[in-house]
Amino acid sequence: MGRYILAKLWQGVIVVLSVVVVVFILTRLVGDPVRVMLPLEATQEQRDQFEAQLGLDRPIGVQFVDYVSDVAVLDFGESLWQRRPVMEIIVERAPATLLLTFAAIGLAVALAVPLGVVAALRPEGVVDRIVVLISLIGLSIPQFWLGLLFIVFFALTLGWLPTSGSGTPAHIILPALTLAIPAMTRLVMVVRSTMIDELNAQYVRVLRVKGLSPWRVIAVHALKNSAVPIVTLAGWELIRALSGYTVVVESVFAWPGLGLTAIQAIERQDLILLQAIVFLTAIMVVALNLLLDILAKAFDPRIDLRAS
Amino acid sequence: MPTRLTETAGAALLSATLVLMPVCALADAITIVLGAEPTTLDPHAADDGAEKAVNDNVFETLMARDVDGNLVPGLATGEPVQIDETTWEFTIPAGLTFHNGEPLDAAAIVHSVERMIDPDLNSEQLSYFSTLAGAEAVDATTVRILTDGPDPILPARMYYFMIVPPVASEAEDFASNPVGSGPYEFVSWDRGNEIVLAADPDWRGEAPDVTEVTYRFIEESGTRMAALMAGEVDLITNLLPEFTDQVPASASMRGLEHPTVILNTNGGITADKRVRQALNLAVDKEALASALFEGQAQVEQGQLLGTTYFGFNEEVGPYPYDPERAKALLEEAGAAGGDITLVGTSGRWLKDREVTEVVAGYWSAVGLNVDVQIFEFDEYLQRLFDKENRADAIFVVSGNELLDADRSFSAYYAPSGFGSSNSFEELETWITQARSETDPEARQALYEQAVEFAHEEAILTFLLNINNVYGLSERLDWQPRVDGKMFVSTMTVD
Repeated sequence: MGRYILAKLWQGVIVVLSVVVVVFILTRLVGDPVRVMLPLEATQEQRDQFEAQLGLDRPIGVQFVDYVSDVAVLDFGESLWQRRPVMEIIVERAPATLLLTFAAIGLAVALAVPLGVVAALRPEGVVDRIVVLISLIGLSIPQFWLGLLFIVFFALTLGWLPTSGSGTPAHIILPALTLAIPAMTRLVMVVRSTMIDELNAQYVRVLRVKGLSPWRVIAVHALKNSAVPIVTLAGWELIRALSGYTVVVESVFAWPGLGLTAIQAIERQDLILLQAIVFLTAIMVVALNLLLDILAKAFDPRIDLRAS
Repeated sequence: MPTRLTETAGAALLSATLVLMPVCALADAITIVLGAEPTTLDPHAADDGAEKAVNDNVFETLMARDVDGNLVPGLATGEPVQIDETTWEFTIPAGLTFHNGEPLDAAAIVHSVERMIDPDLNSEQLSYFSTLAGAEAVDATTVRILTDGPDPILPARMYYFMIVPPVASEAEDFASNPVGSGPYEFVSWDRGNEIVLAADPDWRGEAPDVTEVTYRFIEESGTRMAALMAGEVDLITNLLPEFTDQVPASASMRGLEHPTVILNTNGGITADKRVRQALNLAVDKEALASALFEGQAQVEQGQLLGTTYFGFNEEVGPYPYDPERAKALLEEAGAAGGDITLVGTSGRWLKDREVTEVVAGYWSAVGLNVDVQIFEFDEYLQRLFDKENRADAIFVVSGNELLDADRSFSAYYAPSGFGSSNSFEELETWITQARSETDPEARQALYEQAVEFAHEEAILTFLLNINNVYGLSERLDWQPRVDGKMFVSTMTVD
């Protein structure tokens, strides 16, 4: 196990380093922040001066070496757009994103497991068909539109919840629900199919014959044996949410997290801020992956970690 | 016992009243939604509309503008006096102070000027203040502002220039804890969430109706509208014109944005003046304003200026919509059925892509073969700034925060401008002369000449002047301004 974790860590370091290089090159290739940030009417002289002040006039090799040596000591530099340390912005925004994604994925799992189990009890039954239908609808709705739909229904029509923003517990409900639903629908399908497999397995029949109550068979034995794919997928949903879907949901609900900040950084060509957000997201993804592998092993000791 | 009980009840009632009192006072608190969060509240650092929207209420300027955009004294007691070609003298009342008690005197103005032009500040606003050379205090209430050459626009620049307190503005936290002298003082900034300002009870002017204002930030226009319709907020900016009927109330005013198309007079199909005129005649500006902007736009008066900008020429008007004459002119020029490239961008300005495509449609309708190329903003800028390989036609939106012809004309009329596609030396000469002509009448005459010439030569396809459209709650009453400034002190609540 120890050797395995070391190997995984090493792989993670390589992934993160590649991300650092790729992001650095891409952000420098796609555009010129000075062109976008200054008013159209700014003169070339003013542009040059501004560029020099930001240090963007130096050769790209020099910038890269500086960047890597700064990142090594976790100094991500100063945001071009906000003119304050990038780390300060990330520390300010990351909690909102983490809160939102964990709440959403927690909600998704809490809904998906019972729904999937109930559907698996009688495949092709009425309940199963309804669950599958709901999942398909949930999967097909664009998140952006779903968010607006929730705002119209819960905030405008019913007036139960605030439309957007943050600050009180009521503010998180709609964005979390919007983020949770597509994840939930994917999870339901996995819970359903693994449970169908498990419930048809030999050991379940043996347990039933032995006289165990059906709920005990489902809750203790079958569900535990389905845990590996479910946990792995829930983990993947968390990663997908953290590294992408929050951008949409945070924009719709004006939720002040990293996703909204990332999209603003892109609009304003703030490459310093953007590369820090991508870098930290890469680290989170690598760490979550490692955690998932270890969890899988804990649930199912048969898994040979070295082989994977 | 009963007496005790009554006493307790009485005390409870009293404390309840005391608790409720501040709530009643909050009836005059409003919430304004901006499309983005300010990046800083240092009024000298960024070229950021959200920062201005907040700071316009916290800071003051020597000059101001009325609702229609006419330049009037602000902090200054009157118009500035010109001492010589490069020196302007402003007088301010005695005894002014900032919110923190620092005196707002000539020294504070000198400090503000020096701070703005300090290379270490690296202000994004320098293109508005590039002519400033320094300032000197004559006495406590008289200050002279120096320019590096004759600069007739200086009074207009001072309308854009915020005066900051010498001590507080040097503090480390000025960008997050601004101190000004305006009717509202800064209370708090919960990043990502809201900024709160409160009316300064000691302010020298008339006490405003609104005592507290909270700014929220919602980028998504649908969400912004929902917040207004749900009654959470009182004022939203940039309401899409098609939604004015759906919100509780709306208000609009012609704004500072002028979408236009730059035509290349030096080469390609557009080198012929008749073709350029045809491109103007071919577009139905009225229809563009009513169909795309629901009437929330005015037809441009054949010049890149609003009616109240300095330099506006009343004699020049829009090209009429006359597709038949356009066809005849194209025929005459031998350009019928010719190819023309139109470059535009998407998502930067209100309906930028839509306007570009509708213009292309009108050009196709008079028989041209239009190649519309829409680029992501940075790629588009590369093409706009590339003076060597000029596209036939480039869509752009000219903004003019100083409400003075110089800014727009230097950019799009003068051959040396970053966005111009012509080489008419006379335009260069007139615009350069006007930039340092300190006699307003002579300066006006130069611009009128330039406007007439550019209109006749059709160096642009003149289109529209777009309104600023706001969504309002039922209880808020407010008249928007030409310059788009949202002075909370001019708002009232029922």
